[in-house]
Amino acid sequence: MSILDQIYAKAKANPQKVAFPEATNEKMMQAAYETGRDGYIIPVMVGNAEEIKALAVERGYDPSVFTIVDIHDEEYKAKIIDAYVALPDTRLKAKALGRRMENPLYYAMAMQAVGEAEVTFAGIDNTTGDVLLAGQMMIGLNEGISTISSIGLCDIPGFNGSEGSLLAVGDSAVCTNPNPEQLASIAISACNTVHELLGWEPRCAMVCYSTLGSGQGELIDKVKEALRIANEQRPDLDIDGEFQLDAAIVPAVAAKKVKRESKVAGKANVVIWPDLNVGNVAVKLIQQFGHADAYGSMLQGFKKVVCDCSRGAPVSEIKGNVVISAVRAAGSKNQ
Amino acid sequence: MDRKELEAKIIELVAMAYNKDASELTMETSFKTDLKGASVQMVGLVSEIENELDAMVALADASACATIGDLVDKVEEEL
Repeated sequence: MSILDQIYAKAKANPQKVAFPEATNEKMMQAAYETGRDGYIIPVMVGNAEEIKALAVERGYDPSVFTIVDIHDEEYKAKIIDAYVALPDTRLKAKALGRRMENPLYYAMAMQAVGEAEVTFAGIDNTTGDVLLAGQMMIGLNEGISTISSIGLCDIPGFNGSEGSLLAVGDSAVCTNPNPEQLASIAISACNTVHELLGWEPRCAMVCYSTLGSGQGELIDKVKEALRIANEQRPDLDIDGEFQLDAAIVPAVAAKKVKRESKVAGKANVVIWPDLNVGNVAVKLIQQFGHADAYGSMLQGFKKVVCDCSRGAPVSEIKGNVVISAVRAAGSKNQ
Repeated sequence: MDRKELEAKIIELVAMAYNKDASELTMETSFKTDLKGASVQMVGLVSEIENELDAMVALADASACATIGDLVDKVEEEL
């Protein structure tokens, strides 16, 4: 069973409520409908109820698959606002929140914050920037996390690592030039994400062009400092480095280069790049030369799962990401 | 609220969001070079402006402001 098949099976066993604020978008509605109809999620369509219903019928979908939330239903909106402002650490007061909630993206996230949905899934009409900023305002960041970031899951034919052909890598999409604190946040969030999604015990390597002092310079100092911060913040997690990529994932190389005890060296299942230049190039290399499938990228660092899909994404990709985000949300409840 | 009062209020909110002493801040203070904040701090600031001044500034517009003075201009447009 492929990793995606396993994730689909997990989703079906415990379907989560996924809020779709871009409910009328054709591709989004199709993805929501098909994943809902097949029992992977409970699709919650947020917007103008009449328009959503009419479009669903016009497109040949059974509207009963959807839970439709009308953003003009004042009674329900008041209930969400009351619950939201009563939460600790929320930023907006009732009046400002009510105004923001005229936008379905903010409405969906307010619902998510108060537990009326487990995931907010957007990004096809809204830009990535819109989704990230709304998420920071409405959902907020996990405690101790200083930046939103992302990870991807690579399925690499012929790679025989500690999780078979799978390797999680980050950040290859969001945080361009993380400072040490942000790099530590990326590593910590990545450990949480793989545990939520895949149930892995994360073994996270922070990589660069040096293994335990074999190279020197400011690029390495940043990674070392990030590692120190990550270990200080989360001593319970196995985050180690600084390693070169081969020392991180190849046991024989680790045996030669890492002359101290390490739970991570040679058997990392999560690799954290030092910056986005490395991350972007590395993922392209894995795809082009390793012929890998790359899933994601998955946003991480929010208190709850917020998903941003690519604006050009086909329905099949959107469906995969919807299901992945639902499984993450279910996994995060078990932590 | 006149311009001076608005400037004082925004300085108070910036100081809170960026964890600075209000006396260090002026209309010329730069978000990028002086405050060096992350986007999460700007999100906090915009939220507080909405709560306290009832002015909704788009996050993208606020993020585009170079100085506190620029942000005051933006808020003034919304009031």
